[in-house]
This record gives sequence, C-alpha cells and structure tokens, in this order.
Amino acid sequence: MKTRSWLSLAGGLCLATGCATAPKPPELIAYETLRHDPAVPEAMKRAPDLVSASEKLGNKATDEWSSNDLDESRRDALQAQIRLKTALALLEQERAKNRLQAIGAEQAKASDELGQLTQELSALKVQADLRQKLADARKSADDEKSRLSTQMAADQQKLQQASELMAVQEKLSSARLALSTADTVDAKKYAAPDYGAAEDLIRKAEQEMKAGSLAGASASLEVAKDHAQKAMAIAKPLYEQTAQTAENRLRDDALVREAQSLSGVDVRIDSQGPLRRLIIGASNLFPKGQATKPIEGKLVVLDPVAALINKYPTYPIQVIGHTDNRGRVAELVALSQTRAQAVFEALVARGVDAKRLMVSGQGPNEPLVSNRTAADRAKNNRVEIVFLYH
Amino acid sequence: MIRWLPRRLGWIRVPSFFLFITLGGSAAWSPLALADEEDDLQRQIEAQKASVADLARLDTQKAGAEDIVRLRSWLDEAWGLRAKHEYDSVREVLDRCMAQAELIRQTITATNLKTQVAQKEAQLKQVRDQIAQAKKDIESTKIQISSLERVTP
Repeated sequence: MKTRSWLSLAGGLCLATGCATAPKPPELIAYETLRHDPAVPEAMKRAPDLVSASEKLGNKATDEWSSNDLDESRRDALQAQIRLKTALALLEQERAKNRLQAIGAEQAKASDELGQLTQELSALKVQADLRQKLADARKSADDEKSRLSTQMAADQQKLQQASELMAVQEKLSSARLALSTADTVDAKKYAAPDYGAAEDLIRKAEQEMKAGSLAGASASLEVAKDHAQKAMAIAKPLYEQTAQTAENRLRDDALVREAQSLSGVDVRIDSQGPLRRLIIGASNLFPKGQATKPIEGKLVVLDPVAALINKYPTYPIQVIGHTDNRGRVAELVALSQTRAQAVFEALVARGVDAKRLMVSGQGPNEPLVSNRTAADRAKNNRVEIVFLYH
Repeated sequence: MIRWLPRRLGWIRVPSFFLFITLGGSAAWSPLALADEEDDLQRQIEAQKASVADLARLDTQKAGAEDIVRLRSWLDEAWGLRAKHEYDSVREVLDRCMAQAELIRQTITATNLKTQVAQKEAQLKQVRDQIAQAKKDIESTKIQISSLERVTP
C-alpha cells in the first residue's frame, strides 16, 4: 500500500512536470512587447497584410509555446517580429513622406514670406541708407558750416585785430608825424613837458602794442598826438619868433653893413630899449639959415640911401629933420619938418614907397653935438633917415 | 493506363510492376533531385549574402546594423544547415532572411526619409529663423528710419 502511494505521487509529479508550460521564449516576449507599440494600430491601416500575417504568426508562436514546441514558437515569433517591424518601418516611411510634403509646403510658404520680407527689408534698407546719407550729408554740411563759421569768426577777429592794429599803427604814425612836425619847430626845446609826454606815451604805446593791448596803445597814442600837437602849438610861435629874430638879425646886420658902406652920410646905431634904430644922417643938404630947399647936387647922397631902403622893404623908415638952436623952437621944428619933407619927396622921387616913410621934425631937441661952434651947429642941422627894428 | 502494359503480365503482376517502376525511378531520380535543390539553396544563400553586402553599403546611418548582423548570422546558419542537407530548415531560414532583408530595406528607407525630414526641418527652421531675423531687421530699420526722419525731415 505504502509503495503504491509513493508510486502514485511520483507518477503525478512526472505528469505535472511533463504537462507544465516551458518559459516563454525571448523572441515571443519581444514580439509581444512590440505588439503593444502604440503605432501598431496605425501600422495596421498602412500595411494590413503584414500586420495580419504578423498576428497570425504571433498567435501561432503563442500556441506552439503553449504546446511546448519552443523551436517552432521561437521561429514564428521571429517571423512575427520581422513582419511587424517591417509594417512599422513602412508606417514610419509614410509618416516621413507626409512630413516631407508638409515641410515642402511650409518651406515654400516660408520661402515666399522670406522673399517678401527680404524685399521689404531691402527697400527699407535702401530708404534707411538714403536717409543715413542725407543725415550724414546734413551733418557734414552742418559741421562744415560750423567750421566755416568758426573760421569766419576767427578771420573776422583776425581782421578786426589787424584793423585795430592798423588803426593803432596809423595812430602811431600820426603821433610820430605830429612829434616830427613838432620837431620842425624845436618843440623839444620850446614845449619840453608836452613833447616829453608825447615821447613817453609813444614808447608806452609801442610796449602796449607788443603786449597786444591795442586799446591801451590807441588811447596812449591819441593822448601822445594831442601832446605833440599841443607842443607844436606852443613851440611854433616861439620857434617862428626865434627864427624870425635870427633872420631879422641877419638882415639887420646886412643892413648895417651896407649902410656903413654908404658915403656922404653918417651912420650910427641907437638903441632905445628893445627898439633899435639905424640912423643915416645927412647934413649939409640945405644952405645955412632958414632955407628949406636942398642944395643942388647934394641930394645925390640920397641915391644909395633910396636904393638901400628899397632893398630892405620891410623896415619902417622915419625921415626926421633936426636944426641947431638958433631961433625959436617952434620955428625950428617947423623948419626941420619942412626939410624932412623935402628929403621925403626926394626919396619918393627915387622910387621909395611913400607909405613906408614917416616924416617928422624935431627942431633943436636932439642935437648931436653942442651948438657952440658953427661947425657943431652945421652938424646939428641935419636930416636923419632912420631904419627902425628890434 | 494499363493497356500499354505487357499482356502476358497477369493482374497479379501489375502492382509489382508499379512498385518496380516506382522504386526504380526513385532510385534513379533521387540523387539528381537532391543535387538540384542543394544548388538552388546555395544560390539563394549566396544571393542573400550579396544583397546583405548591398544593404550594409546602403545603411550609411547604421540604422539596420543589428538586423544586418542578425541576418548574416542567419545566413551562416542556413549555410550550415545546407551542408547538413537539412533543406527544409534552410528554406525556413531563408524565408526569414528574406523577410529580414525586406525589414532592413524598409528600415533604411525609413531612416533615410527621417533624415531627410530632419534636414528639411532644419532648413525650414533656418528659413523661419531668417524670417524672424528679417522681421527684427525690418523693425529696427523702421526705427532707424523714424529716428533719421526726425533728424532729416
């Protein structure tokens, strides 16, 4: 009995072992995994034959595995996998082709859009370039304008400075001319303060010009010119007076020399303060006594005197008659006056301008010598032709 | 059918005759038939191997590299089975190889198409980027023109 139980158990185990399902082949597992790919339904639409064949093979492989026909199951599972993979590859191809078509359309659309945008951009860039060129040109023009304006301002400033400098130089020349003019009248001597001030101011102006202070130089030169002109005004009459005096002195000296060379007359010089008198005295022109007519032939001594008077036409001339003291004074004065008038007429007859001559009679009032002797009285009876000068 | 048999053979001898004919034919044709099948399988295997080389050359992106390795191993297996004269198994393996070759072909084609898609996508993206850039450039150019118009009315 015991032995029979053990045999039954062993027989059962053998039956169980023999009837148990073998492990699923990896090919079948891989197929089943692939079968659950979400793309399989779509692959079914794309390649129904392949998918159906795959399913059939898969089912067959499953059955074969269930019946422990593992080699067959593995082979069929491989075939099922291959067909399903092929179907999936075809699906991928279709998807790729569809995507390529879609991309082609999108590409064409995008290319069109890009073309339009490129054209628009190109036009805008042309416009922008033109604007930029315009802006650049305007900026360049503005810069040039600004530069020219600055240059013009600088030129104007230079011109103004040059003009000011020229004006100052003109003033300097004018001041120097005024000073030189003042030199002609020896203003340095006759108007030393103003002349010195003018010189100092001209030097100061020159220094100011070197330092660039044209305004100061201009003002200095104006004052310098004023001083120079003032010095000129002050010095001129003095200079002229001095010059005239010197000339007069020379002329006076020449007159005296020539007068002293005359014959038949007495020449002497008399000073009464600043007034000097060249006296040419002619005696013995009239007979003794009260005669008023000159002696014939005696008047020839008046010829060189008349020539001398005419040679020196600027001197005022007095014709003065004198007598001795014998007789009444009034009568003697009248007599001397008459005799002076006779000489006056003789001189006029010899070409002397009557307007230059002043006739007077002094009578016995100005004797040359005493009237004691006849010879002395003869000397006192005379007519004097007097050149008046300073 | 039996008419052309010799009349002298009795009806008992007819089965023996057919048996003789059958055995004789089999004995005569069997080695020849087997030799033709082996050659045919060999040609198929060699043709498959040549096509595998072509496929490997076409598979520039190595998309079917594993499948090609597997195909080659199966062809080697078929070659081995042929040597063992297991022609049914050879045929079965060759069927699988043909399916595998077709799978590789379709895989390569799909991969090439996907590559083209990727290239086209890249080109499209490039064009779209260019569009975006052109739009930006247009905007900035418009702004530039506006600012220049203010400067140079």
